[in-house]
Amino acid sequence: MTATSSPPPRTRGARRARGPRVIAPLVSGQEIVLLAVIAVLWVVLGFATPAFLTAGSLRPLFIEVAPIALIGVGMTLVIVAAGIDVSVGSQMMVCGVITARLLVEAHVPLPLAALVSVLVGAVMGAVNGVLIAWGRVHAIIITFGTLNLFQFVGRQIFGSQTVNGIPATLDVFGRGEPGQTLGLPHSFLLTAVIAGVVWWYLRQTPGGRHFYAIGGDALAAELAGIRVRRRVLLAYVVTGALVGLAAIFTIAKGTTTLDQSIGAGEELAVIAAVIIGGTSIMGGRGSVLGTILGALLVQTVTSGVTQLGWPSNLSDLFVGVFVIVAVGTDLLRQRTRRAAR
Amino acid sequence: MTTTAPSPSNPAEAPDNGGDAPGPLLRAWRAILTRRELLLVILLVVVLVWMTALSYGGYLTGPYDPDYLATSLVDAVPLAMLALAELLVIVSGRGGIDLSIGSIVSLTGMVFGIVHGLWGWPVAAAILLAVLVGGLLGAVNGVLIAWLGFPALITTLATYYAYRSLALVINAQKPISTPNIQSLYSLTGAVEIPVIGHDIPNVPLGVFTFLVPTLVVVWLLLQRTTYGRRLFAIGTNDVAATWSGVPVARTRLLAYVLAGVLAGVVAVYVTGQFASARPDAGTSGNGLALPAITIAVLGGVAITGGIGRVSGVLLAAVLITWLDAGILLMFEGNDGTQFQLLALGAVLVFCALLNSFTTRRYGGTR
Repeated sequence: MTATSSPPPRTRGARRARGPRVIAPLVSGQEIVLLAVIAVLWVVLGFATPAFLTAGSLRPLFIEVAPIALIGVGMTLVIVAAGIDVSVGSQMMVCGVITARLLVEAHVPLPLAALVSVLVGAVMGAVNGVLIAWGRVHAIIITFGTLNLFQFVGRQIFGSQTVNGIPATLDVFGRGEPGQTLGLPHSFLLTAVIAGVVWWYLRQTPGGRHFYAIGGDALAAELAGIRVRRRVLLAYVVTGALVGLAAIFTIAKGTTTLDQSIGAGEELAVIAAVIIGGTSIMGGRGSVLGTILGALLVQTVTSGVTQLGWPSNLSDLFVGVFVIVAVGTDLLRQRTRRAAR
Repeated sequence: MTTTAPSPSNPAEAPDNGGDAPGPLLRAWRAILTRRELLLVILLVVVLVWMTALSYGGYLTGPYDPDYLATSLVDAVPLAMLALAELLVIVSGRGGIDLSIGSIVSLTGMVFGIVHGLWGWPVAAAILLAVLVGGLLGAVNGVLIAWLGFPALITTLATYYAYRSLALVINAQKPISTPNIQSLYSLTGAVEIPVIGHDIPNVPLGVFTFLVPTLVVVWLLLQRTTYGRRLFAIGTNDVAATWSGVPVARTRLLAYVLAGVLAGVVAVYVTGQFASARPDAGTSGNGLALPAITIAVLGGVAITGGIGRVSGVLLAAVLITWLDAGILLMFEGNDGTQFQLLALGAVLVFCALLNSFTTRRYGGTR
């Protein structure tokens, strides 16, 4: 089940000779396919709407994709360990409203507000993680419950009003000139850096490989001496913390007003991006790189539909179809592997 | 939780029972934990007594009386019916769940609104079509999950997206409320029950025309037919069921079709309730799927499959409806809706933890 399909016992010399093949290949087939699909879509959209392949059109795409991809990085950890978190949208609402009110009403400097947002997100992730790991309840049930709880908290802090006059300090992650370096939006750059770190962690460190072991078979992982509960807790805490950062990106890319719709439906977009990226919903397989590509594909479709002048709601239909196709590919791969054994 | 319970190892609690026979207190405690209906009845009584006390004390913004409770049942009808749909798919096992059910309500509601409201089909034909479309949309889920072995969670997430998108696009995001549709509102009006109606409050018509028939049919299906037994068999252990000659894929597929059919019926009801076919009828806010799953789990349906009862789901739906109705009265204006979220979430987490606890301690909720 794990990405490194269990190697047969070899002698030391043989393993050294095979070398890096014991580790998963740098990019998987699914990721190459995704890259190709995105490239084809970009070319097609470039021909269909000449404005698509311009900086003015691609930059918003990268700004829009940043929060989804960033949360997706955490969600990859969660889903690789055979869990799921449907409460990230509500978490984003809580982080967002706390940050916005800190910035507007307490005039807190941005770094401090960001830190608070990340901490608040981590605490909410910890609530999920503790309930799931120690309460031994299926992740989807717990996170459905906490989805409602966090939404209650968020709306209480909103107090049935919008937060107005969000300051310009957030422009460092915004759409304008201060939000870019070399033409690339800061939010996407930061997301790429974090994704790189988590990608390396999942691939190369023993701790990262534990997530795959847990997703493959949690009981076997426990018996092999992995501290399953701690890893599961860590996955949800990381997701929560990343939601906290993504909330800042989301506020920054919006207007100066924040309303209660922040984060609505975010969980579905994130999960779709992770699944399209080739992470198996059954756990035990997946990569952060795939998630980033999945998020890019989802966002390409969304902006493509808008730019073609089609009804914007139609993009969800394509996202749904892509998810089905991605899951189908995953199943097919599993069957061929099982048949090959 | 366990601190208040007489523990079996404590000899002072059961001194004269001899051997391992549990004392009456312990038996009662165990029954409350393992008999979900019993726990729900107790919770229901607690909610009713608490709210009525608040009402008499003048803490509520309106009277919490039988009339109000009867009126609020209008919200219990779609919730309970969709929770029954979730019961069917969750019981079918292998991680069965249907997130798309709210979108099916939206899409079939729009189809119903178009053929009845815009094209002027007779009501009966339009309802039949809505049910067929619901069944068809459920069948798409079912084929993917039961035949092709897709994981239910992610499949229905995808179809949730797809159906919701179609529902919004099909009529350019506009609701349909032609006179034809508006006249359906009478479906949900309150009626006086014949013979005994003078002594009890008027109950919404939908309870009799929609909820009660559905309850009876689903109960008969699960408890009195071969299909029902097979459904529990595949949910408990589908390998064993396969070797016993149960057509596992077909049985599971049918569960998703039935869930779609129920969603189609709910779509008609919701259209009548709002006197308008709304493209976001089942997906606005948190949608209808989440509360439906919550109620199913609260009603004692095990998420792992094979366990679940109609009576538990019904009690859970009524409990949540009356709790919500009470919460709404506790606050001025719209503040109550936020506390409904709190109540729903807290109750779900509590019941999930309770399920997990009883499964480990007593081998599951019956």
